[in-house]
Order: sequence, then C-alpha cells, then structure tokens
Amino acid sequence: MSTSPSSRDPILEVRDFNLVFRVDVHRSQSWRETFVNLASSPIKALIDTRDSHQVARNLNLNIYAGERVGILGINGAGKSSFCRCVAGMYAPTSGTIKVHGKVRAIFDTAVGIHPELTGRENADLLVEFLYPRANDKRAIVEEALEFSELGTFVDVPYRHYSKGMQARLCLSVISSRPSDLLILDEVFDGADASFSRKISGRVLDMIRKSGAVIFVSHSFDQLAMVANRLLVYDKGTIHYDGPVEAGIHDYKSLIGY
Amino acid sequence: MRHAGAIYWSQIRAMTIANLKSRYRKTVAGFFWVVLNPLIMFGVQAFVFRRIMKIQIPNYSMFLLSGLLPWIFISQSLEMTTSVFISSGPILRSFSIHPLVFLAAQLLDNLINFTAAFLMLYVPLWFYNPPNIAGLVLLPISIAVLIIGVLGMSWILATSQVLMRDTRFMLSFALNIGFFLTPIFYPREFVPPQYRFLSDYNPIFRLIDPFRYSIYQYDLLQFARAIALAAGVALASLAAAVLLWRRKETGVYLAL
Repeated sequence: MSTSPSSRDPILEVRDFNLVFRVDVHRSQSWRETFVNLASSPIKALIDTRDSHQVARNLNLNIYAGERVGILGINGAGKSSFCRCVAGMYAPTSGTIKVHGKVRAIFDTAVGIHPELTGRENADLLVEFLYPRANDKRAIVEEALEFSELGTFVDVPYRHYSKGMQARLCLSVISSRPSDLLILDEVFDGADASFSRKISGRVLDMIRKSGAVIFVSHSFDQLAMVANRLLVYDKGTIHYDGPVEAGIHDYKSLIGY
Repeated sequence: MRHAGAIYWSQIRAMTIANLKSRYRKTVAGFFWVVLNPLIMFGVQAFVFRRIMKIQIPNYSMFLLSGLLPWIFISQSLEMTTSVFISSGPILRSFSIHPLVFLAAQLLDNLINFTAAFLMLYVPLWFYNPPNIAGLVLLPISIAVLIIGVLGMSWILATSQVLMRDTRFMLSFALNIGFFLTPIFYPREFVPPQYRFLSDYNPIFRLIDPFRYSIYQYDLLQFARAIALAAGVALASLAAAVLLWRRKETGVYLAL
C-alpha cells in the first residue's frame, strides 16, 4: 500500500455531498432528431424539459482505516452512484469527496478488456490497469492465473470463455492485492458454486488487508461476513449507520421484509 | 512511486500493443493491408490528377504526399476513435480507468500505421527529389502538433458519440465533403479568393498546412506562420475537449 494511515485518520471524507442526475427519457439522442425537433418546434426544443433525480442529498460521512463498510439499499437507491463518485467516475453536483490514499473500485467481475486476446493477455492488461504502481506485475498475473484453475484455457481467446470462466479470471486478478480504499460492488456474483467458495476466502483476505473497504451487496450473509459497519441507503440519504446486525434489521423493517 | 504521467503512458502502451496484437494475429498480411490502403490511395490520386487531369504543379507526387498522408491520418484516426468510449463501455463502467487511455491507444496505433506508410512513400521519393534537411528537421514539430490537434478532435467526437449516437455518421459525411473542400490534391492558391475562407477557417487544413512547408516547399517563414496557426487550432481543440469532458463526464458514464 502507498500510505499507512493510523486507525483514526479518515481514509474517506464526504462533506455536504449532493448528486443530481438530469433525466429526460424523451431527450433526443441523435443529431438528426435534434435537427428535426429544432425545425418542427424550435421553442419546445430549446426549453429544458429534463427532470431532476436526486441520487444523494447532503451526505456527510467519514470512513476510517480498518472499517469495512457494507452498504444496503433497494435497487436504484443510489448505492452504486455514490461508489462511482468516490471512485472519481461521476462528478458530485455539489460538496466534496476526499480520498486519502489510493482507491481501487470494481463494479463488474466478468469483463475482459480485449475479447480477441487470450485470458493470459487479458490478465496482463487487467493487472496493468488495476495495479499500475505494482513492481511485480508478472508475478501477480502468474499467481492469479494459477489461482483461477483455468489450466490450458488461459491461452485461449477470451471471447471463447463462458460467463463463469470470465468471472474466474477476473475475480482471480482483482483479488490479488489490497488497496488503501477498496470499493467492491456486488463482486461475488458470476462464478460457479465451487469456485465461489474458493474466491470468497481470497476476497475476504484482500478485504482484511486493505486500509478500508466499501462493500455493496444485497446478501445479508455476505454483509454479516465482510462488514463491521453498515450503511442503509435510502432515497439519497443514509437512513442507518451503525453495527451490522442492527442495520440489517433496520433495512428489513424499511422494506417490510 | 511512479508518476501519474508514467502510469498513463504505461497503460496507453500496453493497450496499443494489445490493439496491434488483436488486429494482426489473425492475418499476417494485416499490417501490410493497413499500410497498403494509403499507398493505393496515393498511387491512384497521383495518377488521376497528374496524368488524366494534368494538374500543373511541379513535383506533384511530393505535393500530394505532403497533404494526402496527414489527411488520411486525421480521417482514419477520427473514424477509429469516435466509437472508442462506447466499445470500451463495459470496462469503463467496471473499473476506474481514465477513458482517455483507450482513445490515446487507438491514436497511437494509427500513428504507427501512418509512420510506416509515410516512410514507405517518402523515402523512395528522395531519389527523385532529395529532401531539404532543414525541412526534415521541422517535420517532427508538424507531427507533434498534428497529434495534439487530432487528440482534441477525437476526444470531442468520442464524447459526442456516447451522447448522440449518430455522430460517427455525421463525421463520415463531413469527411467526405471535407476531402474536396480541403486543399489536399490542389494548392490553396488554386482556390478563388472569394472561396478561400473555406480553407482558411478549416481546422483540418490548418493541421495539414505545415507539412507542405517542411517536406514539399521548404520555407522557414511560411512554416513558422503555418505551425503557429496549427498550434492554435490544436490547443483550441484540446481545450474544447477538456471543457466538454468536464461538463459531460457524468452524463457520458450514465449513457455508456
């Protein structure tokens, strides 16, 4: 890891964070349509008819070294959007997000970078992108390929892989090294049952060695296993922030489970 | 600790090698085909305009080369990079990787093809017309400015393509028209004064123009003027791309 913060130094500081998406399902998505709309009714075309969808409302949050923060919330509550903001993929509408250290965010585990290239070559690329500062990239690739148990398939083009094989390769690479702040958005999905058990141990090990973790999941069991703090996210606000068991109970009563 | 610039460069290089491997693995002749395309374009145009149209320009082959190859580089780069954010969408949504890495890798990939085609055409022409060494020394400056300009334009188009899915069709249409309106196979001086604004305000012509004064008709003063205008266009397109990206970044990720 690049930094070694003390347990009371926040790794993530979120202040007055707001995220608003402007949504219009009727908005034209082509120049041709825009031109036709402008020509047929110029005034209507120039009026902004988009609706606002507030994904985060005045969030304030600190995450400290050693914390493994689970996030629970119904689909569309804004959990992934919040994580994407922390990862620097979305810009906040207002407020600030400060990460002290290096953040690594993973939102899908069955993605190959170049389908025409072999599994080994895709692993090379994934390592280049996920561990850009590592001095032992070759060792990471070899160890991840060994762990994936793909055997001779590592030299077969990635486009021939089944979904399960893609997940094996990808999970093996992404779970190779810890990070200062690790964001995992539903990462256990995809692999077959036997490999899931094997990879769970490796992902848990990576989580334990990382500075802090944000872990999004709908699985109460996984959250209970991974997290030591739980956030229940609802309509852009943090509805609950505290111990995991009580948080799961709060979430269940929120959704009428 | 590696510098951020070194990390981006390492990622761009890895992605460029992956692109080249992916394209040429299935066909040994693949690289020659990519290089052959500009060579054939050049050969046919040189024949048509010199032998059939009998265009009166001294050393027409070198004149055409200095305009046509940069044009091919620009048009191919823009067409190749416009869809790059969409084709990389699943990766961009899965990991926090800067999208510019994929765009720059595609551009570098095309630059390698361009350099190979350029050398294959330019060096044999030295036997007929020895190059001006001073002009040759200035050539890398023209190429550097060209790359910056194309990077800016590509970034704008790739961003636009995510939000407006017919951008690449509009680009294709614009390039077809642009080929005839840009002084590539004819000199700017052939254009009647009342229509010269078509080339004077044409950003692609501005990026191509310095090549004329470095490899065809070396003139330091004219080169300095042309490169200053080209640098202005290149920096303006890069600045516009950065501004557009800052404004639309979240929208791009949402639309991917």
